[in-house]
Amino acid sequence: MRKKGPPSEIGRLAAPIAHLLDAAWQRMHWWVGLMALLYLLSGITIIKSDEVAVVLRWGKLVGATPALQAHGPGLMFALPRPVDRIVRVQVKRVREISVDTLTAGAGGPDEDDSSPSSESTLNPLTQGYALTGDQNIVHLAMVARYRVRDPAEWAFYGAKSEDALRVEVTAAMVRSLGEMGVDRVLSDGRKALIATATKRAQAGLDAAHAGLELSSLELTSLSPPTALAPNFDAVQSAFIEAETAKKLAQAYAEGTIPQAQAGADLTAQQARAAGISELAAAHGAAGAFLALDKEYRANAAVVRERLYRDAVERAIVGAATVRWVPPPMGGSYKGFRITLGSGDRASRAGSSSADEDEE
Amino acid sequence: MVEAVRMQRWLRGIAGSLALAAIVFYAMAVVVTEGQTALIMRFGRPVRAATNAGLHWKLPWPIDQASLLDMRRRVYETGHTEMLTRDKKNIIARTFVVWRIGDPLTFAQAIGSEGGAESKLDGLLTNAAIGTLGGHDLSALVSTNPADLQVDQIESELMSSTAQVAMRSYGVAIDQIRIERIALPEENVTAVFDQMRAERRQFAARFEAEGEREASRIRSEADLEAAKIRAKGAEEEARIRGETAAQVAKAYGDAHRTNPELYRFTRSLESLDRLVTGNTTLILRTDSEPFSLLQSK
Repeated sequence: MRKKGPPSEIGRLAAPIAHLLDAAWQRMHWWVGLMALLYLLSGITIIKSDEVAVVLRWGKLVGATPALQAHGPGLMFALPRPVDRIVRVQVKRVREISVDTLTAGAGGPDEDDSSPSSESTLNPLTQGYALTGDQNIVHLAMVARYRVRDPAEWAFYGAKSEDALRVEVTAAMVRSLGEMGVDRVLSDGRKALIATATKRAQAGLDAAHAGLELSSLELTSLSPPTALAPNFDAVQSAFIEAETAKKLAQAYAEGTIPQAQAGADLTAQQARAAGISELAAAHGAAGAFLALDKEYRANAAVVRERLYRDAVERAIVGAATVRWVPPPMGGSYKGFRITLGSGDRASRAGSSSADEDEE
Repeated sequence: MVEAVRMQRWLRGIAGSLALAAIVFYAMAVVVTEGQTALIMRFGRPVRAATNAGLHWKLPWPIDQASLLDMRRRVYETGHTEMLTRDKKNIIARTFVVWRIGDPLTFAQAIGSEGGAESKLDGLLTNAAIGTLGGHDLSALVSTNPADLQVDQIESELMSSTAQVAMRSYGVAIDQIRIERIALPEENVTAVFDQMRAERRQFAARFEAEGEREASRIRSEADLEAAKIRAKGAEEEARIRGETAAQVAKAYGDAHRTNPELYRFTRSLESLDRLVTGNTTLILRTDSEPFSLLQSK
């Protein structure tokens, strides 16, 4: 630009640099153009995989419906800064808060004096608790997991997530507990309780336009007041004892009936077996009789004689003692006395002939 | 050269007008982001509210000023308040409200700051709660009978008795009112504890009695069943024995009928066998056989 006067030594040395600067200055409009282009492109960003972005153009949301407003992961085109503003929201991240508004000793600002009064009463300001439907008192602690469902609502219009969740979850739980009896709450009703409370809390969050989704509600503790714990335990153990008594009785029944059945089966079986062998013996004897009869019909006298003699022989051999007496004189015994082995029981043989050798 | 000078001028012109435009823009434009409202004040007096998000215009600084209000919803919890239900029971209740600025101009005039709104809401809500709950029994809040419960109705009563006033007087829009907590005054808890204890004892006694009764029922039923089974077994045994006896009798009868005379004979021999045992004394005449055989020789 300033090419006046003779070139000095310094000027001569600096000439190439000056020339370069001059050339750059000559192409200033290019530089300006390039910078303008870079500025225009500065609105292009990348949205990460767990994020959703909404665009504010002059502060106003771009897109009419929540679906059109939210941009998923990937490359995103927007206008540069003062015009468009990109707000990123981590929609997939599940956050967690613990709600201890109904927890014993965690309901209010001064927790220190909770222990002395805990035996006979509860201070509603310092000790959290809820009433069940049958007006019993329970303490509980909850953990709520949630994530952002409507990014625009959550980012611009919803109440603070922690505030909204704490009050909605507490209100939902207080109301759901108020419908159930304490015994259901402490036993099999727990699941139903959580389900209704979750539903109610979600409805509340929707009504409060929090833009949040309650993904789970967990009861980390649920118990009657410590002062009453022994009484609740007593009921529990009475229940267990009753169940045990029933189980024992059932075991007894399960033992007794099959035992009786087995006994009955055994007697019948024994009777049957005895019957079979008796019958077999009868058939055998009948068969033998028939065979004997056949023989008898062929030769009655011989068979009869043999049988008779066999029997007499067996009798003589089998008897303990055999006495022989002479035949009576004149057909009867006079003063004949028999003494039986035992001695004390004596029987007199009268005038009749002895019967023992009757045929 | 001439061209370079022209270029220079052109660039200067552009830069100058851009700078001027920027200054004018920042002096006159109001960018209202979603969730905000711009309150435009002319010489310090609120004149209008730019509620829609987007670009709004105002006159430059000394005349107009814009202040931004946060329109997000907020949660406010009332204090724990002791109140009386219709059935004269003392309870301690706490409600919460989800609110937002509904009418920015009224809000700015009536309240000004956000903290101010909460103290106004507290009074409004507490009064509404005392009034509404005084018209319902405690069983409308906690009961195992679904027909008694009127929580929805109570909450909508609370809403209708506060929402209009809040909007008209304070420019506050109420989105939701709920009962957050129902508790009992400290002096009543002791009675509840006693009642709970009594109930527990009763339950324990009932479980015990039921357990015993059920157990003895099971036992006696089992005994009865076993007795029935045993009786049936005995009956079966008798039947089998009877049948066997009949069959045996028939078998003998069939055989003996062929020769009754032989039967009588063999039967008397058998009797002899049976009668003469190991402690029988036989007295035989010497003239009877076999002894007679010895004599005759």
